[in-house]
Amino acid sequence: MTRLIAIGFGMVFGFAISWGQFTNPDRLREMLLLEDPYLYLMMATAVTIGFVGVRVLRRLQVRALLTGTPIAWSTTRPERRHVVGAAIFGIGWAVTDSCPAPIAGQLAQGVLWSLFTIAGVMLGIALFFRRREAHEGVPRAGRERHTAGFAESAR
Amino acid sequence: MADFLLTRPPPEVIGLLLGVCVVGVMATLNQQLGALGGYSAVYERVSGRTAVLGWKAWFLAGILLGALAFRLLAGGNTVGGGYGWLTREFTGDSRWLVGALLVAGGAMIGYGAKTAGGCTAANGICGTSLGSAASFVATGTFLAVAIGVSFLIDAVIA
Repeated sequence: MTRLIAIGFGMVFGFAISWGQFTNPDRLREMLLLEDPYLYLMMATAVTIGFVGVRVLRRLQVRALLTGTPIAWSTTRPERRHVVGAAIFGIGWAVTDSCPAPIAGQLAQGVLWSLFTIAGVMLGIALFFRRREAHEGVPRAGRERHTAGFAESAR
Repeated sequence: MADFLLTRPPPEVIGLLLGVCVVGVMATLNQQLGALGGYSAVYERVSGRTAVLGWKAWFLAGILLGALAFRLLAGGNTVGGGYGWLTREFTGDSRWLVGALLVAGGAMIGYGAKTAGGCTAANGICGTSLGSAASFVATGTFLAVAIGVSFLIDAVIA
């Protein structure tokens, strides 16, 4: 059931970003060159809906439909990694004029150039894990347990 | 139908749909959505770091299916020919640079978003909706850097 719900919301997401033409590198470029406010108006609307919606759920003490757990979340205080990581991400976004969801949308729409970007994304994720594990001295056998305890790795 | 879909709706319509996804995923799974997490879930499963495929991999599969459904209903893609400034700038013998730059840019997207704890969807839409200060900082940073680098690229290739 979790899979079906995830696929369902993913489909809405994928359809919406395609309709909004976020899969088009030239459209993204116009937005990043501040020639088109579309991205910023879209984000402002989405955040407003999300901000109000999740608080209404929490205020009404709603339990999640599938898990039965009370709607709750924790927030993170800014750290150096948020700035450094976001800056690296921003460079990649500007070079490719795309980001993770639109890249998938491009592939589904038959844009084979996206295969190069996807290969790069997987390479970057692999590098992240290798660096973190080397830094923390995690042995190969202990990786699974270690990863399971790292809440943000799933984001 | 095709003309309707191949014309961008007002940005508020797309924002509404994405906002509903944020609220819907919380209401059903009590989870925070993100697209990069889908790629990461696949990598973690394939590399043996996790025993099961994380739910975000299915969310990513949904994105693929949703975009495919759009493509079929619209009767055309919304991407256009080529790949933006890259295929216009690098032609002939330098064409290989398009692929090289997409791999390099993709690697920065993957590494950077994992380090920052999320991508445009996870930090820029979901994290900010939840009021996470870290997401606001990350979003402000990646937007500022992406805008700055875009202007820089524009100046160099002009």
